[in-house]
Amino acid sequence: MGVGKSCLLHQFTEKKFMADCPHTIGVEFGTRIIEVSGQKIKLQIWDTAGQERFRAVTRSYYRGAAGALMVYDITRRSTYNHLSSWLTDARNLTNPNTVIFLIGNKSDLEAQRDVTYEEAKQFADENGLMFLECSAKTGDNVEDAFLDTAKKIYQNIQDGSLDLNAAESGVQHKPAQPRTPLNTDQQPSKEGCQC
Amino acid sequence: MDVILNDIVDANDLRKFRHQYEEQCGRGVPSEKAQFEYSICLVRSRGEQEIKHGIALLEDLFKRTHDPGTRRDCLYYLTLANTRIKNYEQALTFSDAFLKIEPMNRQVKDLQHYAKIQLRKEGLTGMAIVGGAALALGGLIGLGVHLARK
Repeated sequence: MGVGKSCLLHQFTEKKFMADCPHTIGVEFGTRIIEVSGQKIKLQIWDTAGQERFRAVTRSYYRGAAGALMVYDITRRSTYNHLSSWLTDARNLTNPNTVIFLIGNKSDLEAQRDVTYEEAKQFADENGLMFLECSAKTGDNVEDAFLDTAKKIYQNIQDGSLDLNAAESGVQHKPAQPRTPLNTDQQPSKEGCQC
Repeated sequence: MDVILNDIVDANDLRKFRHQYEEQCGRGVPSEKAQFEYSICLVRSRGEQEIKHGIALLEDLFKRTHDPGTRRDCLYYLTLANTRIKNYEQALTFSDAFLKIEPMNRQVKDLQHYAKIQLRKEGLTGMAIVGGAALALGGLIGLGVHLARK
């Protein structure tokens, strides 16, 4: 049982819920073109496996990411408890301007809730993370999580805190065809990403 | 699919996991984890020799492990690695074996689909070359006949 990273990505790129989603092997990749402030932006999203045996080899995908989505499952406290270790990896391997977004997935399963919104919100605030509870199943807030991450990255570019010329910015500017890839490493619970 | 097939391992990672694996080999039988990590770096290398080395390590791991999860992941990487070196028939053997265990796996189905298309393309090119040769031979015979008549 995973926290639902691949399902979130699938919901965002295909607008469909993938039931019976198996554990991701290594990495998967997805793209979607969105519009932020009238600019077309292509998001390039890497979906990394959550299982422990992939943890060491998937770290390299964090490098050069403009944003990272870190996911836990609101119905399993163990996945929430692992967040700090994933956050350490994300902080150590990305640059200081990488936008980190915390997602509490499976918000449709209110009856089985194991982590309150307030507790997670406090964790996010203390660590300077953006935060939303989402449901890959119903699609609730999924769009917002990805779009808010992209908007924040775009804002960082506008106010100069993210330098496009830096090798590890994770963003490419294509003048003729404006494009801003966002490498979003979705970070998992220890158990991984099965939905 | 192209992105995954062209994804190249980070050079530092390859060095790190090779070192770890070789160090363990020096002390005896390497752990399954070290062998797995090193081989999945190798199969994402640029060079064909490295990829083939990765395939050999994955096949060895597949035989010795008792963990169904590891066997499953080995089959996936064997499919990926063989596709990368255009060994499509071999890739299809591994993807078939994988899909027997997990028929709906999208990652493997996508790879399999890609390998099948490439194989069909190669088949058509092969036929075109043979067809071309037949035409050329026909031409030569025709020329021979023409010369003989002269």
